[in-house]
Amino acid sequence: MVRRAAAAVALLLAAWLAAPAPLRAQSLQRLTVESFVLSADTTAPQVDTPFHLIVTLHVRENVMRIDNLDLPLLAELELLGDERQTQSGSRGTQYRETITVVAHHAGTVPIASATLQAVDARDGKPKQWYTNQLRLQVAGPPLIVTGAATMRGMLNAVLRIFFWVVGIAIVVGLVVLIARRRPKPLPRPMPAPVTPPPPPPVLLVRSRRQEIEDALTVLRAEGTRVAAVRVRTAVWRMVGASEGETLADVLRRPQTNDPVQRRLLIALERSAFTYDDDLRAAITDACAALERYAETLP
Amino acid sequence: MIEARRPADLRAALAQTIVGQEGVIEALLLALLSNGHVLLEGPPGLAKTLACRSLAAALEGEFKRIQFTPDLLPSDIVGTRIFDQRESAFATVVGPIFANVVLADEINRAPAKVQSALLEAMQERQVTIGPQSYALPDPFVVMATMNPLDSEGTYALPIAQMDRFLMKINVGYPSREEELRILDRFAVADTQPLRSVATLDDVRSWRDQAHAVHIDDKLKRYIVELVAVTRDAGSVSVPAKSGATLRAAEFIDYGASPRATLALAFLARGRAMLEDRDFALPDDVRAVASYALCHRIGFNYRLATEGVSADRIIQAMIAAIPAP
Repeated sequence: MVRRAAAAVALLLAAWLAAPAPLRAQSLQRLTVESFVLSADTTAPQVDTPFHLIVTLHVRENVMRIDNLDLPLLAELELLGDERQTQSGSRGTQYRETITVVAHHAGTVPIASATLQAVDARDGKPKQWYTNQLRLQVAGPPLIVTGAATMRGMLNAVLRIFFWVVGIAIVVGLVVLIARRRPKPLPRPMPAPVTPPPPPPVLLVRSRRQEIEDALTVLRAEGTRVAAVRVRTAVWRMVGASEGETLADVLRRPQTNDPVQRRLLIALERSAFTYDDDLRAAITDACAALERYAETLP
Repeated sequence: MIEARRPADLRAALAQTIVGQEGVIEALLLALLSNGHVLLEGPPGLAKTLACRSLAAALEGEFKRIQFTPDLLPSDIVGTRIFDQRESAFATVVGPIFANVVLADEINRAPAKVQSALLEAMQERQVTIGPQSYALPDPFVVMATMNPLDSEGTYALPIAQMDRFLMKINVGYPSREEELRILDRFAVADTQPLRSVATLDDVRSWRDQAHAVHIDDKLKRYIVELVAVTRDAGSVSVPAKSGATLRAAEFIDYGASPRATLALAFLARGRAMLEDRDFALPDDVRAVASYALCHRIGFNYRLATEGVSADRIIQAMIAAIPAP
């Protein structure tokens, strides 16, 4: 009977111990986690040389301590010390735990995440947060130096420093040279003025009379051979003549039976081919012929 | 105030005598104004002699006609020296070439020696008889004819000698209406002789004026292009008798010489002058282009085999060059 009672108590105890987290939520802190980071003060520690792993947690709430923060397993490192620091203020609480460790073997050391269990103040649910993981490359043990080796080491160090200094000087010199040769930056171009899109073309159907008057204006204004040839070409097109025809061809067309128009064509031919001394008179004559022809048009 | 006589007056006077044949009349006047010579090709009886005689009469000039035959000698044309027994010395007798208007009829019937004597006189405008050179009268126009129908016993003019003629025209038959007018005009026994409408001095003055006729640069380029197309007529199409379209270049062995370029300019100036203008137009160049080009292009046998006339090829080449 006693044995049965003891077994039941043990079972109950085991069941309590094996109870899942939610069952223990009552004991979790209510926190608003803002950052939770794991870092090391060196990425390449030396064998047997202590270094630090740092867990940093920032929560919005003001708390005196942080519970349920589990550090990662450090199987390949020897734990030398642990220092916790909590700073509370108006901007929340900064928790910083610095673990001093030392590696005794060279090689890659993976460090798992640290975890924090708390009730998320944002939604009231119990959660577990993880930091990042780390992967450290532990270098070999430092050499035990003798007197001669010390000298050699010092010489190497001096040479190394010398080469570094010379290298840096060369790089600085090159940078200065390049900077001097580089053309001055051009003034930033003014942004192109944004022109409004052109208005849709307005199709103006000009009458033959208007075209003749335009030609008259051009010929009067310019009074040159070039203008005369241009006007001649325009008038020829107007009467349906094609490129390369002669005056005789054009005059043979039935469209050019009008004597006023014929006089105009002859006058324009003269202004296009006459000699320079006669050009002014020829253009005056052509203008008069244009004027007369314009008057005959509706 | 006496009205200045114009070349157009001379043309009108000739047109009153000669029915039709405007081409012959124009060619004569152009040759007169350009100081050149004319080669006429056409059958006999087309008023060529009448045209020359009328021209000389209208100018108060002297007209001579030379019938070229196979036994003709150069001295028969230019003249010779004969011994005068009375004076006991050699005297020079000038030939029929000493005239203002000379008709060299059927020039291709005479041998090459006689032809070259005439052509030399045409070129140099002087002849040498014995030790003395004699200048030919001024104006001096030779109108040579060739009969295309009867080629037996003829001596073809070499192309180099043809080139010396400023122009060549093909004389065609008159139309029916023109032939009726010919009947009416020459039915009466005695026709009215052509009265003089100008003098030889007038002709010299016209020639100077024609030389001063302005040719615009656009027109000069047009002239050069017209001559150039005869040398490279690959792009000019000509319809053949068979219906196929052939390239003008297939009919041509060689194109016109630079003398054709000069001739075109001279003739265009002359035509402008005939039209009472002191500047030439594209129409002037186009109107005289075939005159200046036809005897300077070397056509080959395909002309006959394809049944295409030289004139059609020339017209196609002229049409291929757009006027300015």
